[in-house]
Amino acid sequence: MSEEIERREFLKKGWMAGAGLIGVAGIWTTWDVLQPGESAGFGGEVRTIPEEAVPQDGVVAVPAARAYLTSIDGEVVAVSETCPHLGCRVPWCESSGQFECPCHGSIFNRKGEAREGPTPRGMSRYPVQIIDGLVIVNTGEPEEGEPMGTAETIDEPKRGPSCAEGSH
Amino acid sequence: MSDREPVVVDGKRVLGVVPGTPPGGERKVLDEQEPVMVWPHLLVRHGVAALVVLVVVLLLALFFNAPLREIANPMDTPNPEKAPWYFAALQELLAHFHPMVAGVLVPTGIIIGLVALPYIDRNPRLSPRFRKVAVATFTVFMVVWIVLTLIGFMFRGPNWGWVWPWQDWYGEL
Amino acid sequence: MKVMERVRESTVGRSIWRAPDRATERDRAAGHWANFFLHIYPVKMRRKEMTFRYTWFLGVASVVLFGSLVVSGIYLMFFYVPSPASAYGNIQNIQTQVAFGQYMRNVHRWSAHLMVLVVAAHMARVFYRGSYKSPKEFNWVIGVILLVLTLLLSFTGYLLPWDQLAYWAVTVGASMAGFVPLLGETIKGILIGGDTVGSATLLRFYVLHVAVLPTAVVILITIHLWRWRKDAMLDTGADDE
Ligand code: HEM
Ligand code: FES
Repeated sequence: MSEEIERREFLKKGWMAGAGLIGVAGIWTTWDVLQPGESAGFGGEVRTIPEEAVPQDGVVAVPAARAYLTSIDGEVVAVSETCPHLGCRVPWCESSGQFECPCHGSIFNRKGEAREGPTPRGMSRYPVQIIDGLVIVNTGEPEEGEPMGTAETIDEPKRGPSCAEGSH
Repeated sequence: MSDREPVVVDGKRVLGVVPGTPPGGERKVLDEQEPVMVWPHLLVRHGVAALVVLVVVLLLALFFNAPLREIANPMDTPNPEKAPWYFAALQELLAHFHPMVAGVLVPTGIIIGLVALPYIDRNPRLSPRFRKVAVATFTVFMVVWIVLTLIGFMFRGPNWGWVWPWQDWYGEL
Repeated sequence: MKVMERVRESTVGRSIWRAPDRATERDRAAGHWANFFLHIYPVKMRRKEMTFRYTWFLGVASVVLFGSLVVSGIYLMFFYVPSPASAYGNIQNIQTQVAFGQYMRNVHRWSAHLMVLVVAAHMARVFYRGSYKSPKEFNWVIGVILLVLTLLLSFTGYLLPWDQLAYWAVTVGASMAGFVPLLGETIKGILIGGDTVGSATLLRFYVLHVAVLPTAVVILITIHLWRWRKDAMLDTGADDE
């Protein structure tokens, strides 16, 4: 009698474990298959433009690195063009001298430091090397910008009308 | 219908008792609670409802073309960048709160709240008159959500700045 | 009518429609039970639950719109390849070269928008009617899942034309997922299949849009209606009006 019950219990546990195993295997393989793939070019070191071509008072876009280059105190800084809020591409506004994101109105200074808007932090920066006068941007190692509210380290207030009409 | 005490005849509520025969002959009073055959009573109504919906869609499609903007360009974010209208309320919230709040907590909270609703509200009454708290809460939520949707959809322009829909139209469908 | 009756009474007709003559209510109920499509309906319902006032027929409208989406969607599938190199051109082609292509695209687009609207309205109607109360709690829960699935269907479909609207709405939507605590970046990666919205994203959204989500919706609608049918006569009856 008791043996009968034990066997029944054993079988029940057995098939439950089996079903569980198949389930876990299914979830694990699905998970693995869905992992994002590598994208070519971006994510490594990207050769861009000569150092002399990097502007002092504006920025220049380097599409291959998905970044802007600008020179601050004689040093080249690579600022990621992707908005740290929700990923829109942030255009540079020439008239106001700041980055103005069209999506939810976040604003950043020339170094990518958060100025206003809903963004939780400043734009990411990439490490830069100068080799033979050419700017090499290491897109594999972005450095997150400082949180919103951190004091700006360059003194460049808004210099003119912003690119948004009717903005707040 | 009326505020008066219901008239009860044979244990059933009636609207009123009038002497005499109606002009069109004896009329059968339909009992609201009486079970009747779904075929044809309900199926015919559903058929009509389905036809009405289909006609609306087919006519809309005849007169309005679906939008198609320029080909996707990762180098250029359109300004303004508009979410589809059913996410306009979320987009509006995203312009004011940390993305973790507006993009994660609020939607998750709404879904959990909706799922939990029937288990929280155990009051068996059906008429809104006897469900003041539930009705008020739900209504406030709906109104807030609709207003946010309208703002995000119609009142936002370049750089998510305020625009009046009768001056500039940026809504996207 | 005469012809139809003759067909029904023939040997072949009787093998298809098993029901006997529909003279009495009992016959009709039997016919109802024997029909696959009718059996998702209850046989009888209270008169007041059948009126427009009770449901505004919004649930039915949702089903009809879903049907319209399936039909127009299959039509579009014949002319669409989900890759960044071809998607946009395919849509232009549908609009200019394919017979009734623009019209089908319109039907699909407007049905999708209306479906979101109607499903949300259906939820509101069910709420104000109090129809989520015991024993219908779980059907309400299934309804909430259907609402979420409807939104996901619309959103995945939004990417497919591969135009500016599509690309950036999905970029922003996927970034929102990135803010989920702990798992954010992983979820975002799984959603877009790369570090930016690209060919992997388009393929993933396409598979979700034409296979995974519609299947889930069909299964859930079936359960939703089956439970509705089971609960149809359980109405709390003489409650306050
Ligand atoms: C894809 C979306 C949906 C479809 C196709 C659908 C379809 C239907 C249909 C055909 C009915 C029966 C008749 C009617 O009320 O018109 C119904 C009833 C019901 N629906 Fe939905 N529905 C959907 C979404 C929802 C949502 C979002 C909710 C709520 C969160 C919901 C909750 C209910 C409940 C509780 C009932 C029972 C109402 C009663 O018994 O009076 N449904 N649905
Ligand atoms: S994505 Fe730039 S402000 Fe939201």
